[in-house]
Amino acid sequence: MKVRSNLYRKEGYYGYLFVLAPVVGYLLFTLYPLLYSLYGSFTDWDGLGQMTFIGLDNFKDILADELFYKASFNTIFMMIGIPIEITLALLLAMGLNRKMFGTTTFRVIYYVPVISSLAAVSILWQWAYNGDYGLVNQFLALFGFEGPNWLADKYTVKPALILMMIWKNIGYSMLLYLAALQSVPKDYYEAAQLDGANSWNIFWNITFPMVKPVTFFIVVTKIIGGAQIFTEVNIMTPTGGPEYSSATVVFYVWKKAFENLQMGYASGMAMLLGLFIFVITLVQFRMNERASKDME
Amino acid sequence: MKKSLLAAMAATIVLGGVIAGCSSNSQTEGSTEAGQGGTKQLSFMFRGGPEEQKAYEATVKKFEADHPDVKVKIITTTGDQYATKLKAAITGKSVPDVFYFDPGDLRAYVNAGVLKDITEYVKDVDFDNIWKRGVDIYRYDGNNVGQGSIYGLPKDVGPFALGYNKDMFTAAGIPLPDKEKPYTWDEFIKVNQQLVKDTNGDGKIDQYGTGFNVNWALQAFVWSNGADWLDATNTKVTIDDPKFAEALQYFADMQNVHKITPSIEDAATLDTYQRWMKGELAFFPVGPWDLATYETLPFDYDLIPYPAGSTGKSATFLGSLGIGVSSGSKNPEEAAQLVTYLTASPEGMQQLVDAKVQIPNLIDMAEKWAADTTTKPANKAEFLRIVEDYGKPMPNTLTYNSEWYQLFFTDIQPVLDGKVTAADYVKAEQPKMQKLLDKAVEQEAKSKK
Repeated sequence: MKVRSNLYRKEGYYGYLFVLAPVVGYLLFTLYPLLYSLYGSFTDWDGLGQMTFIGLDNFKDILADELFYKASFNTIFMMIGIPIEITLALLLAMGLNRKMFGTTTFRVIYYVPVISSLAAVSILWQWAYNGDYGLVNQFLALFGFEGPNWLADKYTVKPALILMMIWKNIGYSMLLYLAALQSVPKDYYEAAQLDGANSWNIFWNITFPMVKPVTFFIVVTKIIGGAQIFTEVNIMTPTGGPEYSSATVVFYVWKKAFENLQMGYASGMAMLLGLFIFVITLVQFRMNERASKDME
Repeated sequence: MKKSLLAAMAATIVLGGVIAGCSSNSQTEGSTEAGQGGTKQLSFMFRGGPEEQKAYEATVKKFEADHPDVKVKIITTTGDQYATKLKAAITGKSVPDVFYFDPGDLRAYVNAGVLKDITEYVKDVDFDNIWKRGVDIYRYDGNNVGQGSIYGLPKDVGPFALGYNKDMFTAAGIPLPDKEKPYTWDEFIKVNQQLVKDTNGDGKIDQYGTGFNVNWALQAFVWSNGADWLDATNTKVTIDDPKFAEALQYFADMQNVHKITPSIEDAATLDTYQRWMKGELAFFPVGPWDLATYETLPFDYDLIPYPAGSTGKSATFLGSLGIGVSSGSKNPEEAAQLVTYLTASPEGMQQLVDAKVQIPNLIDMAEKWAADTTTKPANKAEFLRIVEDYGKPMPNTLTYNSEWYQLFFTDIQPVLDGKVTAADYVKAEQPKMQKLLDKAVEQEAKSKK
């Protein structure tokens, strides 16, 4: 008896050891900076020297800051890409789920951008969008269209970025959907066909509900990620685009923190962004819960 | 209910990496202890294009060979990541021993105790043989830049000269520009108009006069018209001066009225830079850092003064980048030696000049370099005239932060597109910029405490 309990104790000890690494990592690299930044948001701090406590002054200034609103608007606007991407990913996944020649090749092709470095992809697309000799405009010229200088025009810069992000990320959502589709039991489809359901009915009543958990996961993670768009913007439009039309919140935070010596102010904006993400995520979880109850 | 709150919180925190600060990966390792065998370790962080990085790495190797007891650990980044990395290193209190810094950050870094006063270590430097303007921007007495202790030495000075495509003039049968006497603004437009051409007869223009990037070339026009962004005390934004508006309007009209530049959509830097290199632009600014790249141009080019506005005098900016020593360095003396080797020693300077990434800091070497008219551009003396005579620092380097100045360029597109007049723009923009400048002044006062 005693031997066994010792064995358990030893096992438990190793268990804690394994858990320790991520916990310490979390405390050191996430929680501590988070709290530090939270404190920073209540101070007047240039990122170099002393932090002076100033209460809510940063937040008052932020809420009166035109550029903050502009950046927030841009960030939310660029999330238009999320529903487009999800719809396309589901359609693609359904297409590639069939037994057909070459599906593996297509899966790889769609997944390659996902594993490519975002910085490299941004540089690639920056060239593609070049107004003079870019690939995109050369392609349009084949059909007689004269394309704009995508990244230098305030009306085309956001659509251009959205398009690129869809291209970059679609493979990831597609793969998740593909996994979900493959776990849908075949008998459901057979039964539906026997009852004479058409393909739309089948999609709406079987496929869509069955992949719903994946849809939920993708929507939540995409919105959290979408609120933090930075690298693409920073590389493709290093000045924030014409009239700041492509600047996102994180881009603006970065400018304030590292170029304008206003780390306290930047921390405040990061806190507001964090709060926004938290509230949106909470709302989604609630809605998901209610929807699952309705189904029962 | 509870479950969803927790789940949402977990999802937010785990994925919300931004709040944790994207720069928390403390990569740079700070000052180092003396190793075995009496070797002293230094870390040196800098930035630059591939050519520059190669040149500086080679020069540092030479320094190590000349100083056997010192080992230098090099940290490089690309230009756009440098500021983030350096500021993250400062916040994380692991500043490299020797590092580049923008002259605009001098006061912030000195006030926060980041930069070391290296006056006593640079006593042997022959300051009569180094550009005074280059050194003065790294002097600071606690109130004014330009006097007092030395906190860095110039990596180099960057005179932003105007270049022109010689072959294009010859082909069009137009007399070459005078390198002594600048064009007037009207003359400049006329010459440009003669050079705008459809060379292959397809109905599309494929040779333009010029194509300036507003961020880097507007200063030349504003200053030569007797206006500026700031008053003499650097506390008032003066863009609402009619002379300023006139210069800005002239700049915008080059595109919209006189049509001597590629269309608005094509005016982003890369495009005009590429066009110049392909030989499609008659005039384009030339910085010394581009000389190695321009070696391979398929045409002959030379330097001239910028066209002169109502003052009758050319103007342009003189950039610089400083090399300083961290106040936390454990080997300040060796660190300062590396700084002087890179900036003020004939051995170090010659290597960097040979790599064609900058003009010499040493006056005698620079004069010899400029006198050699067999290498392109022949009129290198124009670079030296900018350094000694008419180059000015960028307005954003004169204030504690440059947010006010950035705003000017953030909002400027409608003026360049011809949708808003320069006069209306400067009137609307001045108060907004002034507000940001006031904040910067206030911030500076606080940082001195």
